[in-house]
Amino acid sequence: MEAHEITIDRKRRKIGGLSPDLADRCFTCGTCSGGCPATGLVPIEGGEGTWDARKAIRAIVFGMEQEVIDSKWPWVCTICGRCEYACPMGIKLMRTFRACRTLRDRDKVPGPIHKGTVMNLEKGNNLGIPTEDFLYLLADMGKEMEEEGFPGFYVPVDKEGANIIVTINSKEPFGEPDDMKFWWKIFYAAKEDWTVSSVNWEGVNWGLFSGDDEAWKEQCRRIIENARRLKCKTILYPE
Amino acid sequence: MDLLEEYITTGRITLDTTRVHETVTVHDPCNYVRKSQMALGDHMGDKTRWIVKQCINPELYREMCDDPLNNFCCGAGGGAWAMPYTEERLAYGRVKADQIRATGAELVIAPCHNCRDQILKGLGKEHAEGRMDMGNYKETMYLWELVAHCLIVEPWSEEEIEAAHAARDAQFERLGIVMEEEE
Repeated sequence: MEAHEITIDRKRRKIGGLSPDLADRCFTCGTCSGGCPATGLVPIEGGEGTWDARKAIRAIVFGMEQEVIDSKWPWVCTICGRCEYACPMGIKLMRTFRACRTLRDRDKVPGPIHKGTVMNLEKGNNLGIPTEDFLYLLADMGKEMEEEGFPGFYVPVDKEGANIIVTINSKEPFGEPDDMKFWWKIFYAAKEDWTVSSVNWEGVNWGLFSGDDEAWKEQCRRIIENARRLKCKTILYPE
Repeated sequence: MDLLEEYITTGRITLDTTRVHETVTVHDPCNYVRKSQMALGDHMGDKTRWIVKQCINPELYREMCDDPLNNFCCGAGGGAWAMPYTEERLAYGRVKADQIRATGAELVIAPCHNCRDQILKGLGKEHAEGRMDMGNYKETMYLWELVAHCLIVEPWSEEEIEAAHAARDAQFERLGIVMEEEE
């Protein structure tokens, strides 16, 4: 194997140097990668071996953060937090790897999560379900529930002063609508005073996953705005 | 989770513990255990197990891990379910599949949309098609799906139904919903 020199530019780092707990405090013990199911799954492009949490943190310390940002590592890592929970030096590994996602150009974010985020900002949910379709689906399903042994059931929409406001995972109205009935049955039995917003009801925050801080914040803001507008005390986020 | 616990402890819902005959285990979503612990100083692992045991005969329960806070991720968290790296996601999930096999449980309870999809549609499919061995595994349910499955439902009174219909009709009018008349 031929040795080659690594050029270190620690001054121009975007992640390292921001805060010591984002990487620099690491003493390379390897607790993070030792307990991580993603260790060994992503080959290092143009290098040898595979990525793991410890190596990614080392790369950031050495000023090679662009290699981490360009790799699949921050996306195959599920940001589950086992590494951070166990880290003896208090490194914020989740924040560090999410920062790598943030620094990826938006058109290079893998899969649909950036497109879904843009869709959400425009249409109020990740899959672009129109409000009217959503409202008719809820109305139809309420009727179904009545026929299935829940007489008097309907989905309260925009009900002011309800005790609980519920967010919805758009995959359910889109592809698995019957799965919404589990919570509905529980609400029926408990005689809960609950509601769903007619707009911005999406509970899945892909801005969080894609590293898009502004979109992340905006989606949270909308959920809180719905609760305030409808004067609901509790937000139920079945995610 | 707190809400389900409250409904059960206050008697607002009652559960029939004889409907589930399969052995059951609980998967801990990262958001519920570690992230709740780190952000809010409390984790939901014990609560999940308590709710599950209110739904079933507790003798059917099989534990998956020594400590919920160190349970493994399903492999599809952090948006990975939606990403195009299927091979890596399933390889990651092998750890979870091994854990499920070791419990000997038939039914896995997943209190998260994402984990449920990975275990049911990702790992479950690999298991069904012989590429992974999850032992006795048969199915995955959401935590709230299990609760709904075991729920003893008392239909509302005539007055309650009438009041609900009136409220519903007012809502349809407000939203401009016109339902087709039935034959």
